[in-house]
Amino acid sequence: MSPTSVPSKDPEAGGNPKAVQDREGTGTASAPKAAGTAPPRAGRTGGRSPLARFLIRRVLTALLLAVGITLVTFVLTNLVPGDPVAANLGQRALGDPTIVAQWKAEHGLDKPLPQQYLLHLQGVLQGDLGTSQQSHRPVRDDLAEAVPATLELAGVAILISLVAGVAFGVIAALRRDRLSDHLLRILSLVGISVPTFWLALTAFYIFFYRLQITPGSGRIDPGMSPPPQVTGLYTIDAALAGQWDVFASAIGHLATPALVLALYTIGLLTRFTRSAVLEVLGQDYVRAARAKGLPGRVILFRYVLRSALVPIITVAGLAFGSLLSGTVLVEAIFAWPGVGQYAFKSATSLDLPAVMGVGLVVGAVYLVINLIVDVLYGVIDPRVRLS
Amino acid sequence: MAIRSRRPGAKAALLPVLLTGALALAACSSGGSSTPASQGGGTAAKTLVIDTSFNLKTADPGRTYEPTGLIVGKAAYDTLLTFDGSDVTKPVPSLAESFELSEDGKTLTLKLRKGPTFADGSPVTADDVVFSLDRVRDMKGTPSFLLDGVKVAKTDDSTITLTSKNANPALPYILPNPALGILNSKVAKEHGATTDSGDKAEQYLNSASAGSGPYTIESVNISSQVVLKANAKYWGPSKPVYDKVVIRNVESATQKLNVSRGDSQVALDLSGDQAAGLPGNLQVKKTPSANVVFLFANRDSSVSKVSSNPKFAEAIRKGVDYTGLLELAGEGSVQAPGVIPSMFLGALPADQAAKRDVEGAKAALKESGVTDPKVKLEYPSELTLNGLSLQTIAERIQANLKEVGITVELTPAPVTTALDNYRNGKEELGLWWWGPDYPDPSDYLVFLPGKTVGLRAGWKAGADKELEAAGDKAAAALGDDARKQAYVDVQTKLNASSPFIPLIQPSQNIVTAASVTGLEFHPVWTVDVADLGAK
Repeated sequence: MSPTSVPSKDPEAGGNPKAVQDREGTGTASAPKAAGTAPPRAGRTGGRSPLARFLIRRVLTALLLAVGITLVTFVLTNLVPGDPVAANLGQRALGDPTIVAQWKAEHGLDKPLPQQYLLHLQGVLQGDLGTSQQSHRPVRDDLAEAVPATLELAGVAILISLVAGVAFGVIAALRRDRLSDHLLRILSLVGISVPTFWLALTAFYIFFYRLQITPGSGRIDPGMSPPPQVTGLYTIDAALAGQWDVFASAIGHLATPALVLALYTIGLLTRFTRSAVLEVLGQDYVRAARAKGLPGRVILFRYVLRSALVPIITVAGLAFGSLLSGTVLVEAIFAWPGVGQYAFKSATSLDLPAVMGVGLVVGAVYLVINLIVDVLYGVIDPRVRLS
Repeated sequence: MAIRSRRPGAKAALLPVLLTGALALAACSSGGSSTPASQGGGTAAKTLVIDTSFNLKTADPGRTYEPTGLIVGKAAYDTLLTFDGSDVTKPVPSLAESFELSEDGKTLTLKLRKGPTFADGSPVTADDVVFSLDRVRDMKGTPSFLLDGVKVAKTDDSTITLTSKNANPALPYILPNPALGILNSKVAKEHGATTDSGDKAEQYLNSASAGSGPYTIESVNISSQVVLKANAKYWGPSKPVYDKVVIRNVESATQKLNVSRGDSQVALDLSGDQAAGLPGNLQVKKTPSANVVFLFANRDSSVSKVSSNPKFAEAIRKGVDYTGLLELAGEGSVQAPGVIPSMFLGALPADQAAKRDVEGAKAALKESGVTDPKVKLEYPSELTLNGLSLQTIAERIQANLKEVGITVELTPAPVTTALDNYRNGKEELGLWWWGPDYPDPSDYLVFLPGKTVGLRAGWKAGADKELEAAGDKAAAALGDDARKQAYVDVQTKLNASSPFIPLIQPSQNIVTAASVTGLEFHPVWTVDVADLGAK
């Protein structure tokens, strides 16, 4: 079974403990406490191997969730008062019933709603997400361009946040109540509370316009052509193709938006790491290790950090989700052609196939992240593997 | 456990942790500073970067009807006729070398120029023209109505005749629309182009162009950017100046910073506020746009007993502070004297514009017999028109009418929702705008009773016989002078008795780098990329 909820004891813990517990729904409170106070529970006995059961349950949940996502997005999009026809045709064309009828027929909107939904599901099963009413292209093709752009941005942001957030959290815990702890607390509070869009605009203004150290909007310089598509991540594609000028440009364009996005998650992770590390520091086995005279480095990395990582990873998984929502605003300001912009544009023009496509992708990303988090639990904490 | 954490051992452990964090940050900042050098190289290769907030669905001229699409279409395709710079009162030859409208106004004869070639080198023929125009008309896309009921025929290899059922003096003004760009029919057919709704060429035309324009399409991404390449074989007298033109989708606040720092050379959608206080080395062009913002009071008594009262509309007309709205809209904006924009044939002179008269408004309100009226004003909230938010205009109108004694309740909605209500004629008061389909006054007959916009204001056919007769007369009038007179007459009547109150034409603020020359704002296609030169 997958331990997915982590009791958060420190009242200073930055995030929302409720959200942490609600994650995934499998959360009976079976999380390993950071210390060895709770004995590992024996798994329910079953005919198959625990791994197989785990995977089967995962896949079933994922399928159920995917269907749920399509249903919810479909219902919501259709409940919005407004007519996609009006969003897609010009004023004059709207006055011509034949054009309107033809447009509706082209996009399958002349059929009753339940049938529309079933047709869509049928398409999804065959890997066809439909055709966007906005771009007149298959949604799959649109997403194949937008998703890597966002993954590149969010991936770099989460990397920065993990490294910086964990480092800051450990420093804050080790130097509790001293100046560096207070400074880091201010930094993380700023990170959590400053609105992302404001930060994005200000960062763009200061670094691009005032200091002139970062490049402008977009993913690469407008004068350059994107590297040949392999992964869709410009940095990696450029490196693979050996186009180092494009690579430099892509990295440069990535830096500011990724840092802006990361600031919130850095704040979050700093708070959580600090409380997790503090909790472990007080445990008997840490004291014993110290008494044995083990070097501080060994205690920190092999005893303290390893134990504290479980709640940190939980929060990191959640943080990745919040990054995806943060990209909507950051992408708009940095003219980053990713999923956020695509979703916003599709939603405002009631472009149903595109909205459902984005919903599926974001849902899938969440499921994958959760799976990774669960697997990492087992890697870090052997007791989890037992169950 | 604070005491323990201060042990020397723990302190030593800080170092690697700190280092990792510092390295991560250093890696990011060094990435940022390495790029400005490569930017300089980009501009040297004669690349022009245009920033605009995209309104783009396709690059297929037969389906294009969005502002960004028209910019692309104008660059990649030639039309039979065009306009010279920003003067929209006189169509001039392009692929056609001359045109003649028959005396009854029903037949337009065009002589094709000899010599124009498509980007692949093949000549532009009469068959290409017939195919392209038939395709637009019969594909039933958004721009189909431009050629509604117009028969296209080739009389010989260099002559095309366009025949309409009724007199169609607007046709020479319609033909320059980039939606009527001429396709290389051979290439288009190879990629599935047909002249009916089964057409499959859009996908191809979104990846390449098949036109004779000064630029060709290198790539199109409707949500991020369009890249144009110079057409080395361009047939026209002036060759394209830039090797590459990148049109990017950028939000307006970012546009300002990009153009200020030289990351882009043209910013198309700055608001009046944003266009103020720019560095001195930039050129700012403020031109009244052809978008007419108007207010209407619904005439349908089933929608509202209050707004359907003609005297009530008069009270609003006299109650709005037009000067205040102009201040709000910023420099370059003008008051709309009638529904026809100031730069078109048949526009009312500026001195005939409505003026504020609070006493007159109160008197009209009293005469209407409505006491203490409360009305709902609906408008699209998130939309900005040439950088001007309709929200701010609605708030100002609310304040203006309060002084007259009319309580206005603002009911903003996202554009797709608001548009639905508007189209169905259900709005009590509405704040909208009309952008020209083509720069001809006949496009504005839609404001008459029983027509597209008239119906949205609950104004049914037969509601104003005299005005409708004047409209029919204007539609049939031939010759510039007669048409001008007829449309002035229609607008004077509209201003006297219609449910519509024209407000303003907001300014289109275009900012360009000092190096860019020749920019003219155009009411239909915003900017002709081919006009732009380099210093």
